[in-house]
Amino acid sequence: MSNVAHKEIKLANQPQLGLGRIFRIAVDGVRYRLFRAAVTVSVIAVAIAFLMNILSESLIKRRLAAGARQELSELRDIHLWAARLTHPSSQEAILADALQEGATIDFVSMLDPADQARFSERAHIAATYLAFFDGLDYDRRRALIHTSRGGAIFDALQDAEGLDAFAARLAEMPAVRFEGTLDVFRAFLDEWPALAAQLNQIIAAHTAAVATLDVARADRTIFTVLAQEGDAFAATVRAAGFQLKPALVSRLREQAQAVLEKQILEGTLSLLESRQFLAQQFDLLPADVSPNDLWHFLEKERHATLYLESIMPLSATLKPFAASRLVELATARREALALERMERLTAGAGGGFLGMGERMGWLLIVSMLVCAIGISNAMLMTVTERFREIATMKCLGALDGFIMLLFVMESCFLGLAGGIVGALLGDLIGFGRMAAVFGVSVFSAVPVSELLSAMGSAIGVGVILAALAAVYPSLKAARLAPMEAMRVE
Amino acid sequence: MSSERRVIIRTVGLKKQYVMKGVTTDALRGVDVEIYDAEFISVMGPSGSGKSTFFNMIGALDRPTTGRVFIDEVDVAQLTAEELAYVRCHKIGYIFQSYNLVQYMTALENVTTPMVFGGVGPDESRRRGMELLELVGLGDRWHHRPLEMSGGQQQRVAIARSLANQPTVLLCDEPTANLDLHTGQEILDVLRSLNEKKGVTVICATHDHRMMDMCDRLMWIRDGAIERVARRDEVHVEVGSIGEE
Repeated sequence: MSNVAHKEIKLANQPQLGLGRIFRIAVDGVRYRLFRAAVTVSVIAVAIAFLMNILSESLIKRRLAAGARQELSELRDIHLWAARLTHPSSQEAILADALQEGATIDFVSMLDPADQARFSERAHIAATYLAFFDGLDYDRRRALIHTSRGGAIFDALQDAEGLDAFAARLAEMPAVRFEGTLDVFRAFLDEWPALAAQLNQIIAAHTAAVATLDVARADRTIFTVLAQEGDAFAATVRAAGFQLKPALVSRLREQAQAVLEKQILEGTLSLLESRQFLAQQFDLLPADVSPNDLWHFLEKERHATLYLESIMPLSATLKPFAASRLVELATARREALALERMERLTAGAGGGFLGMGERMGWLLIVSMLVCAIGISNAMLMTVTERFREIATMKCLGALDGFIMLLFVMESCFLGLAGGIVGALLGDLIGFGRMAAVFGVSVFSAVPVSELLSAMGSAIGVGVILAALAAVYPSLKAARLAPMEAMRVE
Repeated sequence: MSSERRVIIRTVGLKKQYVMKGVTTDALRGVDVEIYDAEFISVMGPSGSGKSTFFNMIGALDRPTTGRVFIDEVDVAQLTAEELAYVRCHKIGYIFQSYNLVQYMTALENVTTPMVFGGVGPDESRRRGMELLELVGLGDRWHHRPLEMSGGQQQRVAIARSLANQPTVLLCDEPTANLDLHTGQEILDVLRSLNEKKGVTVICATHDHRMMDMCDRLMWIRDGAIERVARRDEVHVEVGSIGEE
């Protein structure tokens, strides 16, 4: 019996297991408890879907808003230039121009070349301050600068006493984030008189140029002139000192044309017959017919033809129109209205935490917290359920670190799965909602790369959340005494 | 003859106290035993006698309050967590009353788990795992999960698992308590043959009186102290009379 060779005990440290092996064991553990895992995954998925939904919506909104603003500003080119060519500008208008990227401020070139760069720099700063004051609510604005507007604000703050009072009142408003420091503002105020003088110089030049153009167009409206003699008039405009880019001229001409045509068409509404005709179509009283009804009616070519046939004999001005042109105008008008609507709806996009506003941010934090608690709870249950298994593994030589890593890893799988499902779900919901609000134009405005990186970070949030939530349950599991395995239930 | 044999487990003045809500319970009140290499020992005692605590101590699962436990002359209290895990993994095999197999693993995976912890490569552990399963007569059931096996088969898988890293000592906590007479006997036969063929020291906590028939020595624990230690031939008559009832 004792002839068997004795096996010597040589002490050594238990080896650490490779991540790959722990990974496989963790996968097995999750597979075995698939239902529990699915429940946990769905908790994570819901939270991440919420996050992703907010992210995707604000990204889409931001992209839509940028697109709409761009298109609208192009559509408004004609009105901008019509105003510019007929009315001298104010200090504020010049400063607002300075804030717009790529805007060329007319008549800057008449300043001393050395002063030009300095001017646009200062004008930009001034415009930033004006934007800050415009962003204040009424009470604060009144407390800070009384009722002054535009350049008058800076004029009023010229004397040291007024500025000190201003600084004191600003200090009482901790919620207000002033642009830059007060010292920078003081330095700017010192420069303001020089800037104001330059602005006045520009305004004077503008006034003179407008007067020249008034003579040139000789009682015709600016639209008529732009539409009829676009290139020739553009030359005159440039000669007067405006910086009208050649690329813009043809667009201005087209838009001026459209403005004129719209005026003519809307002018037909002054005919009683036209009103009666439309009133019949829409079942209205003739007096209630509005330009909107007219344009709505003209969106179909059949209707446009009908309108032209019935009204043309009565109106001398209608003759040159083709039905297709009417449809074109009506469609363009409808699209412009849609753009304006989109601009209004997306006006709030981009503000606050992650571009979703303070309340949303709070909701999000709460949902993440609830999610973390849910994961923690599920992992605790798993640990309790597996007391015996864990203890047995420790009897068989598992290290505390292995047990810890095993459970954190398991939780990370759930986080990953939940994150992916949630990110996709959130995207889908976001698309759905945005498509419902803005129509199919959403799909051309999908910011793919931004959305992908947002999805990546949402999934990352899911995994990190799951890992953090698993720390306590895993610690509990790792600290379990191996002798629990001996216990008989 | 036993005095010349090598001591594999030795306890010196082993005491263990549990403190629960300020009340101190003495689970062990000074146990001095020596267990020799390749011995088959039965530990008997009513529940609450300190039998489980004794097992936890000699199995390197818990630390004594005072006193020492030497496993092959290594003081367990001096070991780091890593070394303790090493001892549990390589030196001691545990067999539990309720088998404690991992439910989602196949028989083979269960058997190879200690090898995974011990750092044995997958091919080698698979080969050794199959050998062990064949040794306990379950070579053809390697892909079955615990729920697809009977209690006796599960306990045999557990025995194969306890042998994974060629331990010196097998600690069995009532290995037959959950089994019927016939399967219990099978398990006892497996343990006995392991003890005889491989020279593994087997320490069994048991209420099973058949165990007395095959063990080398018997220990009775009562109230946290060794009440009596006896060789089998000394108690044979007594046991025989019980067995024939």
